[in-house]
Amino acid sequence: MGDSRGGASPPVHITPDEVQRFCEFLYRRTGISFTESKRYFIDHRLEDRIAATGSSSFQAYFSLLRADADHEIEHLINSFTVNETYFYREDHQLRCMTSSLLGGIAGHKPPGSTVRIWSIPCSTGEESYSIALWLLENWPQVDSYNVEIVGSDIDTRALKAAAEGIYGNRALMRLSRDLIGRYFKPTTDGNHQIDEGLRDSIEFTRANLIDKQDMARYRNFDLIFCRNVLIYFDDASRREAAENLYDCLRPGGYICLGHSESMSRISPLFSVCRFPDAIVYQRPEADHG
Amino acid sequence: MVDNGAAKTRVLVVDDSSLVRLYYRSALEKAGFEVEQAINGIEAIERVLSQPFDLVIVDINMPRMDGFTFLRSLRCRAADVATLPALVISTESEMQDIAEARASGANFYLVKPVAEADLVRHVSVLTGAAR
Repeated sequence: MGDSRGGASPPVHITPDEVQRFCEFLYRRTGISFTESKRYFIDHRLEDRIAATGSSSFQAYFSLLRADADHEIEHLINSFTVNETYFYREDHQLRCMTSSLLGGIAGHKPPGSTVRIWSIPCSTGEESYSIALWLLENWPQVDSYNVEIVGSDIDTRALKAAAEGIYGNRALMRLSRDLIGRYFKPTTDGNHQIDEGLRDSIEFTRANLIDKQDMARYRNFDLIFCRNVLIYFDDASRREAAENLYDCLRPGGYICLGHSESMSRISPLFSVCRFPDAIVYQRPEADHG
Repeated sequence: MVDNGAAKTRVLVVDDSSLVRLYYRSALEKAGFEVEQAINGIEAIERVLSQPFDLVIVDINMPRMDGFTFLRSLRCRAADVATLPALVISTESEMQDIAEARASGANFYLVKPVAEADLVRHVSVLTGAAR
């Protein structure tokens, strides 16, 4: 959305009461919970949106937001989500995927079957592409299964960037020169675009972790990467997200969380699996709930 | 290797999985082959009729047109296309499937998974690119 202001105007003053109303709204729509300690972050983004929509006051902006005029809810969510990551981040979990998890998953399926992997939230695609790259380079059975990788995020702007697959040097810092040479093409402005074949191998979709109806569209995943998002949720939303993710997994399927997150503290539904490379959580095999 | 200043040896990879196509393409390009791709038998027929290839690698189970049908269709074309060497790479490991592939016109059959080195070795032999 463009900035409809004619020129720079002084920022709109937002009262603590207004911030609270706004946070309640954001929480209801996304499950993202901000405390007073994030006041600066909230103010800054709210001011940006108020200015971009040409609203004269918080109240005017809030009315526009609640009416979802010009898809303002989507623009707002896009401005509040954090989209900074890089390829092969927390690669011990990728190693765990090929050294431990896929052996168990593929062991239950005949060759030629589908293996479904979900990266949520996928942000601008680094994690989803990392999964595909890692499989190509490290899983000897990569051609024996029909691997479906889905990347989902609540932020449509991030999804668009993911589908384009253009990255700067920082996002590629963990990849070898050889990998970059084989799977990326340099762009004229000094960035790198990921191989078209890799872009074709991943489906990017919009999904909201705490929207049960939305999540019901996603089923039968063998493996889910859901890293570093539950930390933004409060206890109730975290539990709701965990229950939704549970329903998205096949019985026996696994979920990888971020290094500072523990499913044991969120929900009793999952079993803890300690593999040499990582601790992951499993939907129990016998549970067909 | 296959790139000795002359035109590169051209391989068409036919598989409905983009990740599998990418895996074979990456291995073969690293070894100096030039690789084109098709996602099913119909697209593969269009490719071989419009461009010259030295080898086609084809999967069996694909939507729209499977590998057996593709091979039979290939073998009844004009001579330069009909004689194109074909390597089948499939998860199907039953003797019956291998026999049907042979009868349909496959020159060689490999069961997935295929390691990079084995892929390159077989492709080199079938295209005459091996040293």
